[in-house]
Amino acid sequence: MNLLMLRDVDAFYAQAQVLHGVSLEIGKGERVAILGRNGVGKTTIVNAMLGIASVRGGSISFGAETPRRLRHFTAARLGVAVVPQGRRIVPGLTVRENLLLGAATERPGPWNCEAVFGLFPVLRERAEIPGPSLSGGQQQMLAIGRALMANPDLLVLDEPSEGLAPVIVDELADTLVRLSAAGTSILLIEQNFSLVHRVAERYYVLSKGTIVESGSLAGLSVEVLKKHIAV
Amino acid sequence: MLIQILNGFVYGGLLYILAVGLVLIFGLRRVVNFAHGGLFMLGAYIGYTIASIAGFWVGLVASVTVLAVLGVVMDRVVFRPLQDEDPIVTMLVTFGILLVLEDLVRTIWGKDFLTLKPPAGLDGIIMLSGSSFPVYRLAVIALAVLVAGGLSLWLRSSRVGLHVRAASVDPVTTAMQGVDTERLGATVVAIGAALAGLSGTIAAPLLALSPSMGSFILIDSFVVVVTGGLTSFTGAFVAALLIGQLHNLGVVFVPAAASVIPLVLMVLVLLWRPDGLAKKRS
Repeated sequence: MNLLMLRDVDAFYAQAQVLHGVSLEIGKGERVAILGRNGVGKTTIVNAMLGIASVRGGSISFGAETPRRLRHFTAARLGVAVVPQGRRIVPGLTVRENLLLGAATERPGPWNCEAVFGLFPVLRERAEIPGPSLSGGQQQMLAIGRALMANPDLLVLDEPSEGLAPVIVDELADTLVRLSAAGTSILLIEQNFSLVHRVAERYYVLSKGTIVESGSLAGLSVEVLKKHIAV
Repeated sequence: MLIQILNGFVYGGLLYILAVGLVLIFGLRRVVNFAHGGLFMLGAYIGYTIASIAGFWVGLVASVTVLAVLGVVMDRVVFRPLQDEDPIVTMLVTFGILLVLEDLVRTIWGKDFLTLKPPAGLDGIIMLSGSSFPVYRLAVIALAVLVAGGLSLWLRSSRVGLHVRAASVDPVTTAMQGVDTERLGATVVAIGAALAGLSGTIAAPLLALSPSMGSFILIDSFVVVVTGGLTSFTGAFVAALLIGQLHNLGVVFVPAAASVIPLVLMVLVLLWRPDGLAKKRS
């Protein structure tokens, strides 16, 4: 069974159509990337799942469920947790409180504050300070930790490498591979190929709101790469 | 002097209970709720009527309950359908509700000033450093402290409280974590309205009941909310106590300028800290 499936999705912001018949699927245990340049609609895929962009054609399924109305909270409750672009650490809450916010779904599973601190020990040391005073890399850990607190089947990361130093991106890649080995599937939305090739096994290429290429990462040609993402 | 300061705390306490409801509603719904003064006034009248029949405490509970229900209705019928509109639209609608409530109360209860007696047991007088002071007023101060303590405990250490704080700063991110912010919003508006009912009823033995009592106190509550920093509960508490004192000292020493003093304070605070008392100067 697929954890996430988009079927012929047309997504809009007000009257502007951004996604045109996008179909994709991510199964259990998979690590998949969506590639594409800025402005082709990558984040709109996430926003469509979250009910931020409006889906006026096609359908989005989370596991066995195809909700008729997508609310902001629907995906998280159905096992798909998002690490949003820009991380969106909530100001005014401590690191620990940001993590606890992620547990709002009350889905059962292995993740709690202790488990997240085990994965990212630096967050334990800084648990009681305000979330936004963390460094960029630590904020990314917090955003991933917060998503894990929902005990998701699938983790969706939107441009997680944005603004991070290359060495931190390498650590991020290791973390994602480890999470996937522990049973969480990964959907990586990225234009940073050095992260994608370390993590993903399969890819989709998005261009002008449409999926134009897909396949296994091993078979991804240099021409496709050059044409659709900056390397 | 002690008596004057205590009286300042009484008014500050009332203001706090009213203003913290405004802060809650503004945080979750981003609505400047002019109807809040109307809810305060309606709470006072409902409390008055039920208290005259069934006693003060039943009146208090009834007023809080009715206002909470009214809060849910208002959220459903007004705030939610208008949440994507220009904030000025919602503000005008809440102002309209205030006017409607005032006329409604005038029609049902009339224009005459009404007064409610304090409950038995709290209707006495105690001597404080040589002057007499009504016990009921001390009870109002205690209740305000209790509300502040209870709210802060709820917001700091409960799960729903965490969701309320998070949704006040970033509703979309909060909802993305799986929180139903619509339902949370309704809960919070209900609590805000219930607090307006609470402060209206406990104000009934202190202030003369009139349909316009809500508009008067609403101005001071807005001053409290703005001075405190719009979304800050602690800021509202400090600002309410401050405004309470100033209002009261103004009434005693410079009656002609009493109603201007809180506004002057607001202007000064905003010049000093443009985001209110609770926020550090940027």
